[in-house]
Formats: sequence, C-alpha cells, structure tokens
Amino acid sequence: MATNRWVATGNYFTSYKDEQRIFLTHFDRLIFCCMLVLVFAWPLFISVSDRTLLVIDNILIAIVAILGLNLLTGFAGLISIGHAAFVGVGAYTLASFSHLLGDRHILITHAWPLMILISGGVGAGFGALVGLPAFRLKHLYLAIATLSFQMIFEWVINFMKFFNQGQTIFVGRVFWFTGKIARKQHYQFWYYVILVVVVIAGFAVRNLLRTRYGRCLVAVRDNDRAADAMGMSPGLTKVYAFALAGFFAGVAGALHAYLYRGVGFESFTLHHSITYLAMAIVGGLGTLVGSFFGPIAIYMLDLLVENLAEYVGHLLPAVMNLSTALRPLTFGLVIVLFLMFEPRGIANWWRIARTYFKLWPFRY
Amino acid sequence: MKTKKALFIHVGLALLLILAFGAQAQAGNTYKLGLSLAITGPTSDAGNPYSKGVEDYIKYVNDEKVLGDDKVECFIRDDQYKTDITKRNFEDYLDMGIVLYLNYSTGSTLGLKRDFEEEQIPVIPASFHAGNLVDSHYIFLPIASYSSQMVTLAEYVVANHKGDTPKVAMFIHPSAFGRGPVEDAKKAVKAGLKMDIVEVVEHGKDLDNTATLKRLLNKKVQYVICHTVQSPVATLLKDAQRLGIAAKTFGEKGKITFLGAHYTGGNDLIALAGSAAENYFWTTSYTLTSVKGEGTDFQLALAKKYGRDEKAANSHNYTNGIMVAQVAVEAIKRAKADGKEITRKSLYEELLAMHGDRSYDPKTTVAPVTYSETDKEGVDKLQIYRVDGGTWKAVGEPIESVFMKKIK
Repeated sequence: MATNRWVATGNYFTSYKDEQRIFLTHFDRLIFCCMLVLVFAWPLFISVSDRTLLVIDNILIAIVAILGLNLLTGFAGLISIGHAAFVGVGAYTLASFSHLLGDRHILITHAWPLMILISGGVGAGFGALVGLPAFRLKHLYLAIATLSFQMIFEWVINFMKFFNQGQTIFVGRVFWFTGKIARKQHYQFWYYVILVVVVIAGFAVRNLLRTRYGRCLVAVRDNDRAADAMGMSPGLTKVYAFALAGFFAGVAGALHAYLYRGVGFESFTLHHSITYLAMAIVGGLGTLVGSFFGPIAIYMLDLLVENLAEYVGHLLPAVMNLSTALRPLTFGLVIVLFLMFEPRGIANWWRIARTYFKLWPFRY
Repeated sequence: MKTKKALFIHVGLALLLILAFGAQAQAGNTYKLGLSLAITGPTSDAGNPYSKGVEDYIKYVNDEKVLGDDKVECFIRDDQYKTDITKRNFEDYLDMGIVLYLNYSTGSTLGLKRDFEEEQIPVIPASFHAGNLVDSHYIFLPIASYSSQMVTLAEYVVANHKGDTPKVAMFIHPSAFGRGPVEDAKKAVKAGLKMDIVEVVEHGKDLDNTATLKRLLNKKVQYVICHTVQSPVATLLKDAQRLGIAAKTFGEKGKITFLGAHYTGGNDLIALAGSAAENYFWTTSYTLTSVKGEGTDFQLALAKKYGRDEKAANSHNYTNGIMVAQVAVEAIKRAKADGKEITRKSLYEELLAMHGDRSYDPKTTVAPVTYSETDKEGVDKLQIYRVDGGTWKAVGEPIESVFMKKIK
C-alpha cells in the first residue's frame, strides 16, 4: 500500500487486510462522505415535486432489491427469475399484518422499522425455501425453479381472499418522533428512510464480501466442486445466498408497501422480475456499484421511453401499436446490447473512469 | 420639467397596469383537470378513444366559449394501465393545481382511493367497479356500476326467459374487475332473483373455448353473462358459432344466449367477432351512434369538427370520454353560476347536488346523471342493445335494476 493514502495511484497491497479495506484511499473516503452529505442534504435546499421524489424513492427501493439479487446472481452465480415475488413476499407480509390487525394498528404505524425487518426475515425464509432445490439443481434448471415460485406467488395472491385477490390492501400512515407523517412530508420522509436503508445495506454487502461468508459465495460461483473440496458446502451456500437475496427483497417490498401506502398484486409480476434482472445486468453483475447504477439506468430509460411512446402515440395515433411496443422493444434491445458489448455493465464504465482519474494527468 | 416627466411616467405606468389587469380579467380563468389513462399498453383500445373524447370535448368548451371567457385545461397522460405510473401522474397533476381528476382503471382507482380522500378531490374514473365507492367520498362513477349492469342483465334474463328457472353461467375477467359483480349477482339470487348460477368461468388467454362451451351445454346452461373485455368474448362467440350452439333469438332452446356488461361490447366486439356477434345482448348507459339521437348527433359532429376517424367517432369509449368531460365541465359551470370560486370543494359540492331538479342530462347517456351523498353512480338506468344485422340496436326502453336496491 502506498505510504501516502491520499494520493495512491495503484494497487500496492502488502497484506490481505490492505486489500480488504472498504476505502482504498482517504480520497475515496472523502468523496464518499461528500456524496453522502450531498444525497442527504439536497432535499433541504432544492425543492422538488412529489412526482420526482416518488421516482427517486422507487429507484432507491430498487437498489435495495438489486443488492440482494446481485448477491444471488452476480456473486453466487444463481439466476433468479422470481425476484419480484420475493419483493412481493415482503410487501405482502406487511399487508398481512395490516389485514389482520388493521392498517392503523400501532405495529404498522409506530413499529414500522420492526415491520420492515420482519418482512425482510419472512423474505429470507421464503428465499431459503425456494433455494432448497439448489442442493440438486443449477443453471437453467434452478432458474426454472425460481420461475415456478414466481408463478405460484402470482396465483396465490391473485386467488386468495386473504390477500384481497390482488386488490390493494392498505397500509396506514406511519409516525415519527414529530408525530404522524402527513401527506405533504410523505415522500421526503420515505426518501430519508430508504436512503438510510440503502447506505446500511450497501455497507452490509461490502462488509459481507470481505468475510469468508462472502468469499464463499464467489468460490461456489466460480467452481462449486473446488469449493466443496476446500471444505465449503456448495448446497448450503446457495441456500444461504437465496436467503440473503430474499431478505433484501423482503425489506424492499416492505418499503414499497409503506411508500405506496398499500400493496397491490401488479407490482410483483414476472415482468418486474425480468426488470430486476435487467437492472442487475445493466448495472454490472458481481459488482457493488452495479447495484446502484442498474436501477438508476433502467428507471431513467423507462421514463424516457415512456415519454417517447406517449409523444409518438399523440403524433401518430394510427401507429398506436408501435408506440405500445416501443417500451418492451427498447428494454429488450438495451439488455441485448449490454450483454453483447458490455457484459460487465455500467460498473465497468465507472471502473474505467475512476482509473483514468486515478492516474491523471498520465495517460491510461 | 423633471416633475412633469415623472408624472408622465407614473401615469403611463398606471395605464399600462390597468390595461394589463383588464386584459387578464378579459382572458378569464383557467381551470385545470387531469386525466391519467391507458393510451398505450393493455386496454389501450378503450383508453385511446376515451382520451380523444375528453380532449375533443374540452377543446369544444374552449372554442365555443361554453364557460364564457374562462377556459378548461385538461392534462392527459398515458399510464400504460399501471397503478404506479398512475400515482406518479396524479402527484404531478396535484402539483399543477388540478381541481378535478379523471382516472381510468379499477386497480388504480382502488389503489389511490386513500389519496383521493386525503386530497379531498372529486374523481370520475372510467372504472364502474362498485368497490370504488366503498369507504370513499370523492369517487363518482359516471354510470351504473358493473354490479348493476350484471344484475340488470340477470333480471332481463329472468323477465324474458320462457320455461323453468333459467340456468346461467358467468364468464368473467380473472381479476378484481371481473370478480366484483359476481358476488352481487349471487346476492341478488339470494334476495329472490329466480335464476341458477351454474358456473362462474374465469377465462384465461385461451384461443379455443370448445371445452368450456361443451361443459356449459352439458350443464344445460342457457345464458352466459360476460363481464370482461371484448377479445375473450369475441373468441367465445366465434367458438359458439362454430359449434352451432349460439342462440339466434333470445332464449332459443338447446342453445346459449350471450349477454355482457359495458366493456364487453361496442363496435370493437362486432369488428372482432364478425357475424358471431349477432344476437349478442349488451348493456351500457351510453347512447350509441347506431341509434340516432341528440347526443349521438353531437358526438358525430364533435368527432368531425376535430378530425377524428370513423372508428373513433362511433366508439362508445369516445362517448364515455365525452360524457365524463361533460360532467366535469357542468360542475364548473354550475359552481360559476352559484357564484362560487372553482375549487375541489366547490366542484365536489356541485356534483353532490346533481340530483332532482339539478340532475344533469348530457344527452350522451340514456338517462340523466344523478349524484348525491348516498348515490355516487351517475346514470342509474341502463339500455339493453342487441347486435342485429351487424349493428347495435336498442332493445326496449332504458331499465333500472330492482334487485340492486334490495341488496345494497
């Protein structure tokens, strides 16, 4: 490691401990702290509409979910086509409490951090359950197992009266130390809550990857027989990866339920699972920063195409079907292009940009 | 000299100010409405003409100075039939200062119900789901609910069936939208409506309904009441025609007579099902251009004025869009006439007062729109239409459900 930790320009590690640092240089830490201050402070100075805050809150929730999916698919190498169902499990855990106790019950409105954790826990439980076939299955076969979970989830929610057959189950407004969070503060309040969850989740994943439990995931992904020979249990590791992904997804689901103040079936369909997978791929599988870039990129793309489709629809009403198809077409095209030309995702662009500035003024 | 110059400037400025304020007063006020609906994506075949109906009527109001110098601005956005996008649009509209909101789908109307309550904003959705009105003060259905439509069709079957208790099957959409009215139909049977509900079929995406139809026939089903969208009904009708089991007249023995609620019918059904649509009975509260009248003449003139094609001009969803815009504008007009400031509150009050002498006849519906504290279903009467010679023809006079009052 360079002696001056402010201006380190290369990887000069002298011990494994050095390599495992969260921030390699003080400069990295400073930038991170500045970013943190910025993301926490900007809503106090810049006035934005509720619509914008709602979009940002949705992106942050997706980041929490993708952190889990990236652990599962990126780091452990297990494809999941049922991630939206895990998110749904978290949301419907909260909805079930709301349904049983009433949406204004103190547990829902006051003990909401606990409810978020419980939802995460239930998500983890379901994750572990769905991960059980991983003892025997891998690759495409395992993906199909996760797909079947998505199908079962959709069927159960859509047909069970307990879940209101997919219709909205309302969740009451929460309380903070200052009192009830009114409609005017709703989106900003949840922005901060979700941001805190994102920061904690980000650090948790980063730290996990520094431990043997994290390295276990990568080892099983790269070669499960070799991992087995080294004393790891590939089966249990996979189940544990599913449980972790389920936990993050469950937390995201509960946050979604609180943000929308209700849970409806249509937010957790197969289409959403594919979107989550796309976010992970576009962001960069197997990278922490990819979990942040993916949701931002896909949401922005979605908004752009949405506006474009609307514009085309108004301009050329005769080709309404074309504008309807524009969204899935663009979406599919972006994924294919990323898989073809940048399989490492936006995270790789970030790496290149960082390396360039690290070495500046020298040429890369 | 200096004093004179200053005086001249002051007088000039004052004149300019007076002129500016005068021009502003002459320009009148602009009242903002918001509409979020599926212009693309699922159900856009209905959403598209619906949005055109709203757009054209608002243009007409502004062009013809229906509100004098005041204007109405209606923001229209596509939500692709997704509740989260609808919510985003709604939040945006609130920031824009809308005084009345026009929503679309059942899912989003139910999902945003709490928001409507908190914002205390009157809402007119395109969904006629009776559940929209539960625990809600601000949602106003334009016409009779799906439940009313299903029960009215059931009453029509009972009243016109010859022989024993009619055996009926329900063919519904596999969602809350489809299932909701079934419970009310069952309640009506419990309350004394003499018919047997033999089976409730939730259709999937089947392209062939042979097995379903054969099963229904084996169970001696004589009537199928549909509550879904047009395409599955068209498939069902085509299959029934192919199997030779579609009744050619109402209640033909050994055959099945098909009937359906609002979103199963219209010209799109005839276009999809072709000759198989013959003898399909359909109910809605809207007037149809195939049955000439004051409302339909206005609709066709409006479509012509704003360059709409034949298909849009004759669509009942276009009528639907015009009608909700008519109700919104009428509420504004009445609030103005009452000397009230145009706010969410005043429009809400005007809508609630829309009954008795103050009921509103937009002419695009078969009966007047009436709202009150206890009645939030706009047009209570329904017209039964039947496909005859490839066109919709009215069957009798508009009717109102008797059993809906009993089971409410």
